[in-house]
Amino acid sequence: MPEWNLEIRKHLAGLHLRPEREEEIVEELSDHLQQRYEEFRARGANDDAALREVMGEIYWRDFVPELQILERTPWPDSEPQGAPASGRFFDDLWKDLRYALRMLRKSPGFTAVAVLTLALGIGANTAVFTVVDSLILNPLPVEKISTLAAVNTTLAKKTAQSGDLQAISYLNLKEIRERTHSFGRLAGHSYPMAVTMTDKDQPRRVFAEIVTANYFETLGIHPFLGRFFLPTEDTTPGVAPVAVLGYTAWQNRFGADLGVLGRTIRLNETAFTIVGIGPKGFKGVYAVFGPDLWVPSMMAEQVLPAEQRNALSDRALPLFTGIGRLEPGVTLAQARAELKITGAALEKEDPNVNEGKVLAITPLIEAAYGRERQPVVFGGFLLMAIVGFVLLIACSNVANLLLARASVRRQEIAVRMALGAGRQRLIRQLLTESVLLGLSSGVLGFAFGYAGCRILESLRPAEYAQNLADLRLNTPVFVFAFAIAILTGLIFGIVPALRSSRVSVSEVLKEETRSPGRSRSRVTLANALLAGQVAVSLVLLVVAGLFLRSIEHEYIIDPGFQTKHLALFMLYPGQAGYDRVRTEQFYKQELDRIGRIPGIDSVSWASNLPLWGRQETGIAVEGQEARKKSEAISAVVDTVDLNYFSTMGIPLVEGRDFSENDRDIATPVAIINDTMAAKYWPDQDALGKRFQLPQGRAFLQVVGVAKTTNYQTLGEPPQACIYVPLRQNYTDSMILYLRSERDPSTVLSAVQEEIHSFDPGLPVEDIRTGAKVIDQALWWSKIGVGLLGVFGFLALGLASVGLYGIMAYSVNQRRREIGVRMALGANQGNVSLLVLRQGMTVVGIGVVVGMTLALLLGRVLSRFLYGVSGSDPVSLGAASLALLVVAFVACYVPARRASRVDPLVALRES
Amino acid sequence: MGTKVEEEWKKGSADLLILSLLEDQQRHGYEIAKLIEVRSGGALHFHVASLYPSLYRLEKRGWIQGRWVEKANQRRRRYYRLTAEGQRVLGLQRKKWQEFAGAVGRVAGVQHA
Repeated sequence: MPEWNLEIRKHLAGLHLRPEREEEIVEELSDHLQQRYEEFRARGANDDAALREVMGEIYWRDFVPELQILERTPWPDSEPQGAPASGRFFDDLWKDLRYALRMLRKSPGFTAVAVLTLALGIGANTAVFTVVDSLILNPLPVEKISTLAAVNTTLAKKTAQSGDLQAISYLNLKEIRERTHSFGRLAGHSYPMAVTMTDKDQPRRVFAEIVTANYFETLGIHPFLGRFFLPTEDTTPGVAPVAVLGYTAWQNRFGADLGVLGRTIRLNETAFTIVGIGPKGFKGVYAVFGPDLWVPSMMAEQVLPAEQRNALSDRALPLFTGIGRLEPGVTLAQARAELKITGAALEKEDPNVNEGKVLAITPLIEAAYGRERQPVVFGGFLLMAIVGFVLLIACSNVANLLLARASVRRQEIAVRMALGAGRQRLIRQLLTESVLLGLSSGVLGFAFGYAGCRILESLRPAEYAQNLADLRLNTPVFVFAFAIAILTGLIFGIVPALRSSRVSVSEVLKEETRSPGRSRSRVTLANALLAGQVAVSLVLLVVAGLFLRSIEHEYIIDPGFQTKHLALFMLYPGQAGYDRVRTEQFYKQELDRIGRIPGIDSVSWASNLPLWGRQETGIAVEGQEARKKSEAISAVVDTVDLNYFSTMGIPLVEGRDFSENDRDIATPVAIINDTMAAKYWPDQDALGKRFQLPQGRAFLQVVGVAKTTNYQTLGEPPQACIYVPLRQNYTDSMILYLRSERDPSTVLSAVQEEIHSFDPGLPVEDIRTGAKVIDQALWWSKIGVGLLGVFGFLALGLASVGLYGIMAYSVNQRRREIGVRMALGANQGNVSLLVLRQGMTVVGIGVVVGMTLALLLGRVLSRFLYGVSGSDPVSLGAASLALLVVAFVACYVPARRASRVDPLVALRES
Repeated sequence: MGTKVEEEWKKGSADLLILSLLEDQQRHGYEIAKLIEVRSGGALHFHVASLYPSLYRLEKRGWIQGRWVEKANQRRRRYYRLTAEGQRVLGLQRKKWQEFAGAVGRVAGVQHA
């Protein structure tokens, strides 16, 4: 019996029928043919003749198109009349999805390239959005952040910016709480303070915030475990040593031990009981840096350094930032007006402390960053824009791939239109395909984004990683990635879908060959997309280059002190329970003993960390007291020990260094910097002049003038600074500074041993070298530049893959033409040049456009750059060169292939 | 295969022929083809390419209905039967054809058989 089934299947294959349907038709037809065959045999024909007769009757050429038309028309009665439109919609959607899946599976190469390209773009967007969401959009996991405001003091004088916000003393905070009605609740919290936590005899440096008992309630958060502070625990100083652990600290420092509640830990030698664990993700209200634990305000004395011990009773000692929950219906402006009155009353009642100061109210979301807000927001949105462009490049790449594929699928689409598929329906089907592609890329992209966030988190400086904000991949991020995946699918799918569905049915069906054609307009669109990609990549590369150059300049900024041979040890003898006598002895003894360690040049103590100087306001210059308090002088104040200037490598321009003789009983002295000298004693000798520090103690006499250095940020404008001698200004939180002969890392362990031999109970955790100090100061910028670089190269990579793809495709399309040219005498060089010229013209246009855009953007960026102009020729040149080289390679490979076309083969092919 | 004109006529009359043959009993495809050939005295041939697309179209319109029938010692076959709607259409088509053939005959001067 002849193999009817095989013969029939062969002809039906092109129709892509549903398998069940195909099976039915095959069965029915083969039965028919078999009967016909038997009929011929019965009439006496032999096997071969019968077979020929049957086959001759079939007319596949008529049968297949007829069947195709039939099978593609829907069954009119398959659905009841008046079925709801939505039913049809989902039915169609389901069909489209299955069809789309089949189409994608049929070309795995295309699918893989497209998904990977898009996933990279979506991943970059997800990662950056997570950063923006965690740091800017939703930095604090508190209830209704819009009704929360921070209350600070600031100087009445109009120079005050948000950066000059100062804390409020405990007594003032209490007054404000009692006198204002705008806030339903008003709490206070301190900055995170370094304290020594001893758990099972292991001293560790952690950060604690002193908060009023209603702090957590005001924020509207709930403990993960246990409870927060009771009002009764915050009424009498020193009676309720309780602490709430942060979730991260509980996870990392206590191994998430559920038995931690009720446990006793020592903070600065006072035993505290852990009563609760804060909610997951909450690390205080500073978006960037948060505490490990909280203690009630009445325990302030136990955790504060010696000079701040009377924080609860001294109105001049600022400690708290107020956090207020606005009463329903009260606006920020109303609260501000009320605070103005309260502030004025406080100023009147206690002019000594409050004169010249006003109360400032800031929405909490803004206060969460303080002065860092502007660069963080700027950086976040710049990165957002950049990854947006990377995604656009990815989209246009995939759009180009789809356009190329569309020309292959013209036949398919024409047939479907001939069979009555409406244009709308077709566009919908094509879009389903691209959205499906977008969604699959979204899944992979989300994974990329997750990995990216983990990498970013791992780049946080290890010492503070636990206190820095976490990147939260939460519902908004997920929604974002999902939305962007669908949007992406629509963006890159819409143009190809519109174009493919605009085919002329009769034209296409008449085309004899199934070889794809590529019309002129198609090429133009692809080229425009390519030029756009080149332009955008160039802009991104230039931006990355500009910031790289900027940070390069920042690294070579001279901070004014030596960093190469510098090492710092954070030691808190006061927190180990030392009294004043023991602490002073410790300072003196270590200065002496560490100074004798071989390889160490010089040792000193200072209260400030480099680049973490704190400003004090209200300095009074003798003879200039008439000045209104609102014009108070502010300066960075640093308490330092002997040899500080030689250890730091800061030259003294006038006068002398502190000496052994500058003791308690001697005349109070100070060394100021040349900025302060020039500002307050212009055209005079500052030596011998006198001034008073804000806390209103004795007049200090200037004995020396040191050169100005950077105190708060690298490359800052010069600011006034006052150094006072440790031996006249006792504090128990000094930092050990040393200058080594060679690389400081060579002496670190010797110093640690020395300190350990003095007292094993002193934590020596936080050690920094000068290079690390600079590194940390530039950490944000470095991460930003790193990201810019990664995204710039990602864009370049994607653009060059796109360029290569289109060039290779176009060479393949033009094989015949190239063959003809070569047959007519063009040599390999001519052909390569032809293709190269085609590609590099597009690149050239892209570079010109990109350069123009980069120059425009450079103007906007210039105020965020340090030491580089927005039109820096090095950045522009290097970026263009990198781009041209990569683009050249992407064009050269296909060009070379074109030159290898064998005219004989190429001409025979068609 | 006949001339182009005959082809067109055949197409135009295929529905009527098939529906007529199914009027009194259900039949399978080969049987229909055979009957058309025999009853037309060999003048009309319906082979795979012309018959089955017509059958499927009629089925889609709901005028006939096919179902698989298994009989002893025989492969299962698809039998088609006329639906109520098909019955109605058949009556209509017969009338139309009669009118049409008559009209053509009168114009062309052909005596009605």
